[in-house]
Amino acid sequence: MPEDDYSVVGKSVPRVDARAKVTGEALFTADIALPRMLVGKILRSPYPHARILNIDTSRAEALHGVHAVVTGKDTAGEKWGVFRYTRDQQLLCVDKVRYVGDEVAAVAAVDEDTAIEALSLIQVEYEELPAVFDCRSAIAEGAPVIHDDRPRNLNVSVKIDVGDVESAFKDAHIIREDTFVAEEDSYFMTEPYAVVADYHSDGSIEVWMPNASPHTKAKALSNALRLPLSKVNVRKITIGGAFGGRSDVFPAEFITCLLSIRSSRPVKLVYTREENSIATRMGHAMTTTIKTGVDREGRVVARDIVSYLDGGAYSSTGPIATSVPFLCHEQTYKMENVRFHGYRVYTNKPVRGMIRIHGRSFACGIDTQLDMIAEELGIDPVTIRLRNARRPGETTPTGSYVASCGLVECIEETAEKSDLLGKLKDRKPNVGIGMGINSVQTGFPLGIRGGSQAFIKFHEDGGATVISGVVDNGQGNDNMLVQIAAEVLGLPMADIRLISADTEVTPTDAGSYSMISTFGGGNAVKRAAEDARSQLFEVASDMLEADPQDLVARGGKIYVKGAPSAGVDIGKVVRKALIMGRPIMGRGAFAPDVDQRREWITNPRGQLSQAFSFGATVAEVEVDPETGLVTAQRVTCAQDCGFALNPVIVEGQFEGGVAMGGQGGMLGEEHRWHEGHVLNPSMMEYKIPTIKDMPEIDPIIVETIDPVGPYGAKEAGMSVAMSAAQAYCNAVGNALGIYFNHYPLTPARIVDAVANKKPGIRTAWDIEPARIIETAKK
Amino acid sequence: MNKQLLSFTVNGEKVDVAVRPNATLLEVLREDLALTGVKEGCSEGVCGSCTVLMDGAPIRSCITPALEASGSSILTIEGLAEGGRLHPLQQAFIDKGAVQCGFCTPGMILAAKALLDSNPNPSADDVKTALAGNFCRCTGYRKIIQAVRTAAGSD
Repeated sequence: MPEDDYSVVGKSVPRVDARAKVTGEALFTADIALPRMLVGKILRSPYPHARILNIDTSRAEALHGVHAVVTGKDTAGEKWGVFRYTRDQQLLCVDKVRYVGDEVAAVAAVDEDTAIEALSLIQVEYEELPAVFDCRSAIAEGAPVIHDDRPRNLNVSVKIDVGDVESAFKDAHIIREDTFVAEEDSYFMTEPYAVVADYHSDGSIEVWMPNASPHTKAKALSNALRLPLSKVNVRKITIGGAFGGRSDVFPAEFITCLLSIRSSRPVKLVYTREENSIATRMGHAMTTTIKTGVDREGRVVARDIVSYLDGGAYSSTGPIATSVPFLCHEQTYKMENVRFHGYRVYTNKPVRGMIRIHGRSFACGIDTQLDMIAEELGIDPVTIRLRNARRPGETTPTGSYVASCGLVECIEETAEKSDLLGKLKDRKPNVGIGMGINSVQTGFPLGIRGGSQAFIKFHEDGGATVISGVVDNGQGNDNMLVQIAAEVLGLPMADIRLISADTEVTPTDAGSYSMISTFGGGNAVKRAAEDARSQLFEVASDMLEADPQDLVARGGKIYVKGAPSAGVDIGKVVRKALIMGRPIMGRGAFAPDVDQRREWITNPRGQLSQAFSFGATVAEVEVDPETGLVTAQRVTCAQDCGFALNPVIVEGQFEGGVAMGGQGGMLGEEHRWHEGHVLNPSMMEYKIPTIKDMPEIDPIIVETIDPVGPYGAKEAGMSVAMSAAQAYCNAVGNALGIYFNHYPLTPARIVDAVANKKPGIRTAWDIEPARIIETAKK
Repeated sequence: MNKQLLSFTVNGEKVDVAVRPNATLLEVLREDLALTGVKEGCSEGVCGSCTVLMDGAPIRSCITPALEASGSSILTIEGLAEGGRLHPLQQAFIDKGAVQCGFCTPGMILAAKALLDSNPNPSADDVKTALAGNFCRCTGYRKIIQAVRTAAGSD
């Protein structure tokens, strides 16, 4: 069917959830009020590394108004980890605390004041231990060991080696090695984390919390609480942003459930903004050394990369987090010979997870170095990218076939629209322009079996209810599901209701991480709707005396192609089907076709993801070299999202990506530290972009119609955030004639680089390279 | 702590509530009056999610003592639509795609209402100045500016 034949998809229709959000009707977790509900609070470690010698909760328990107090003793030492081999985070610390903020005890009381007072009455005896706060100190011989089974604090080691890197370097025309560093960044979703748990006398528990996969949360809670999975019911709730920061399982939901079970009352635990920063997840600090060899035309012939990721106290998504920066890069650029050593290292700092602009030092390092090589060769940044850019039909170094790819279009369109080459020739002092390009996975397997499933039921008036496990973190997944179902069923969107993200009612879904919701959940709903439609056509074919294959569903009617006026209302078909004993019940499922043998550490080869998105961003900035302040003027961003199911929503994703990845991510967002304490956990101190900071944004949607994505759609949320970070980095560098290698580019760093500017094509700072870690036993 | 009586008007209705003297306006609106459209994002008056209008002016309810609202007229997001008819700003936020996760939306719309009430025809810069204290992490703000200008008819 040609695109312009679509009646609902591809149109910028208003989101189904928008009305409840502009009236204040939409309930977020902290808004829930249940009868007899208690307030939960967590006691956290004040030390970065200490042994717990004793916990005395007796005075807290005796306080009037306290209904439950729990410590590690109440948990049987249950541990969480995304993978079986990374289960290292106790849900309440038993023996040791490993970062400032680690969960030690918790209370449930009648109100917040009582809960806070109860926490102050808990006596914890600690024995302080020496701590480590950066990768190099942590891997040094003799460093304090954070987890006893992990010598040198090596949490994850990923090794990828494709082709023959050593001999390819021998043939290279130019070889460069540079090192890039990025500090920790954070999500700062506007909604602070919160959990409500309500344990019932039938042994079931209801749980509400912002999450990126209700089914993953339910599985982890079922294991930790030793309750049957069918009795852990994670409910749907409005979610105030995620950006990778809601994907993991946190002790707080386990603790809140435990408090509800102990008190036999509902418990609500709402994080402070500071707790949201410290005790959920944050981005990794990362050092990346990149050695690249190119031929005379600037084609990459060999690349050797070593990354150190500061993982904080626990594994979280470690193996994934260590691999994804490399994988984004190998999807973006063609290379036959490439090697990657990625090390995630434990430190006594908060736990790090996936974030929307994951691996700033890696992505920005690759593109900064590419610009350096282009300058050495006397070619422009567009040409060198086009010479190395991924094309459709190719296979990545680790073996993923790329079916659809619009990277070349993204590069060409952003370069043309921003007049990148013209502006590079016509230079103005302290004004710069730069390009970044990137690629993101559209879903990889992450522990939830069977992909996504969906059901569709019909009401006697012809309306339908879609039932799907997909969760909406704010990006518009609910709308995406309804828009797809409406297109297939020929119903107005207003006639479709949605029940989603409730583990008791809805079938499983992979979750909204790894950018899979549209590709996986959207396809499942599309198939369920197609199943329902074919049932409708079977019934309608009798009523219309026509072959089912000749029927069309549109505008609430079913009719023979070309004869809409002689159609029959879908409601009538639904009622007829009921009378015939053939009720319309649609069902569909979709699991991406990926190589299930692929594993992050033991076997990083094979089809990683069934589709990949691609993007390019051009940023234009003006820099004041005396103050180091950067004013972003204009950003032109493009992404191949496959097909824009809803162009306004896709644009919104791009624009948000520019804010988070470029404006915030490259110009100011970083955590500052003092011995494991985060100095800026609040919104006052951690500077996210305001409306006044933002440049003009020109979003360009590139569509390649992926062969498998629903209507050709892939993902729209992440690629621009990544390429915007790279573009801002190169634009600031271009303005000052400096190749920056320490991110983000704060005024202090810019002023320092300007003051110490050295001649030649070189990075701003000399940073000790990340090297392969020899782990031979002594 | 002995409670004191707070008498004020909320969304057009006269209300009397017994409040702790140290309670914030946010706590009273959310917990006593169940007006959960007032959001708590940072608890320190920075992010703007808790914005409500006090006698027409935008204030941060999270750092406003509840008793300071005595005798005033407070408007929260729940009181903006009249008789089920959305305010033009609410409609424009929907139509222009200015809503993503929605957590900042109530505060954003109320701050924008205060702007339009005093400046019915704002430039893009006027909108930016008026909303500079309202953080959004999802949208990049572009569609929020478009929505406010559309509601003002200056688009």
